[in-house]
Amino acid sequence: MLNYSFMQNALFVSVFISILCPCIGIFLVLRRYSMIGDTLSHASLAGITIGLLCNQSPILGAFVFTSICGALIEFLRTYFKKYTDLILTIVLSLSVGIAITIISSGKLHANADSFLFGSVLTVTEFDRITVFVLSMISVCTLIFLYNQMLYIAYDEEAAKIAGVKVKLINYVFSILVASAISVSIRIVGVLVLSSMIALPVATALQLGKGFKLTLVFSIVFSVIDILSGLFISYYLNVAPGGFTALISVAVLVLVILVRRIAFQIKVQAV
Amino acid sequence: MFFTIQTNELYFSYTGLPPYLLNGIDLEIKDGAYVSILGENGCGKSTLMKLILGFLKPSKGTIVTKAKQIGYVPQKNDFSNSNFPITVYEMLNAYRKLLKIKNKEVISNVLQKVGMSSFQDSLMGTLSGGQSQKIFIARALMGNPDLLILDEPSTGVDIGSQKEIYHFLTSVNKKNGITIVSVEHNLDAAISNSTLIYHLSGGKGHLCTPEKYTAEFLKNEQLGRIR
Repeated sequence: MLNYSFMQNALFVSVFISILCPCIGIFLVLRRYSMIGDTLSHASLAGITIGLLCNQSPILGAFVFTSICGALIEFLRTYFKKYTDLILTIVLSLSVGIAITIISSGKLHANADSFLFGSVLTVTEFDRITVFVLSMISVCTLIFLYNQMLYIAYDEEAAKIAGVKVKLINYVFSILVASAISVSIRIVGVLVLSSMIALPVATALQLGKGFKLTLVFSIVFSVIDILSGLFISYYLNVAPGGFTALISVAVLVLVILVRRIAFQIKVQAV
Repeated sequence: MFFTIQTNELYFSYTGLPPYLLNGIDLEIKDGAYVSILGENGCGKSTLMKLILGFLKPSKGTIVTKAKQIGYVPQKNDFSNSNFPITVYEMLNAYRKLLKIKNKEVISNVLQKVGMSSFQDSLMGTLSGGQSQKIFIARALMGNPDLLILDEPSTGVDIGSQKEIYHFLTSVNKKNGITIVSVEHNLDAAISNSTLIYHLSGGKGHLCTPEKYTAEFLKNEQLGRIR
């Protein structure tokens, strides 16, 4: 299987996705912003279609457009303080509207369907380089801003008092989310992308550990979900995105069950 | 004696327009004072605190805060992040790094001060109301603040822990000279521990000693209720 160059490319991209997505996802989930991941992953479809329309890389197109949408969400938050969920509807309508209009115009030079469900066959050498560069920049930024982002997620007021530039970092974080989404589109697909961001974190949260351990377990579960999704979907000849989402849910349910059984055994022992 | 906080003709409403919630507040809090802010629900106590902290901007007037380092203890009920997966050590260590304090021992020092040394590996979500309040006080003490601002420190805290917390606050105020501003709903604690009480009512404020407050304001309120 790994003799095929398309699988080597897919494996390379999957490893980066499985590290980057939970690193971003943990902050999204803990700030109760999981739905932003969902909105931005749908927004990326507009970026893909714009990229394809302009004969440019769809991943770069997705990155640029999703970053703009992320920044727009952050900007609109000031105006819709009491209806933050409305912001997501506005951005979702705008981006899906653009995507559908471009796709239905028939002016696209390539097929955008593979981006909806994810495909291992479409990962190109240029995608590999783009994914590598975006992932490295994102991980370095995350390491650099780790404490600031942790505190904004945990206690925004305390972060402000400690001198953290909360607004600026929120904008940077929007770009990081856009980056994680655009590197994941090829393999996972737009439709289930948000599950790659949220589900490994949801699974790790079941273990009841501190922040660092929760982050480490999120990455471990993400690697398990994405790599097993990639390999099994190859043998079953199905889209990797959908199957990875199924595995993510299965792992989450398994961890919840094991935890419950372990708790029952503990109670009975006492 | 110098002042830590001074407000001049401070007006505030959430729309920026009249009617104002705070209506021309002139308040001067001197260095080393322990001031409790009292008043009915919705009178603007927490708003005034947020203005002092810089979370809100005045509609009119000015606020001058001369504190070099502010320590802030949030209200426990406002803090809904109890399921956040973070240990006491992680929470304090990240804050230490934000304050750019190089010495890691500051964490064990502040935990020792509030008597919570044995809890550094505990998850924040597993602590009781009193325990987490002590941890937030420990966090506020990092970086040696000259001003400590607390939002209803006894809310959701058992009586035993309340005593410990107020004893500790009085002690850092007297021994270390830290200026304390505490938004209070606990009248007894405010009267017993503060050096001054700031009573907010109808958008206006009045600063007085606890003794005077007991004699004047409480008497008036009781008379009002009887009538």
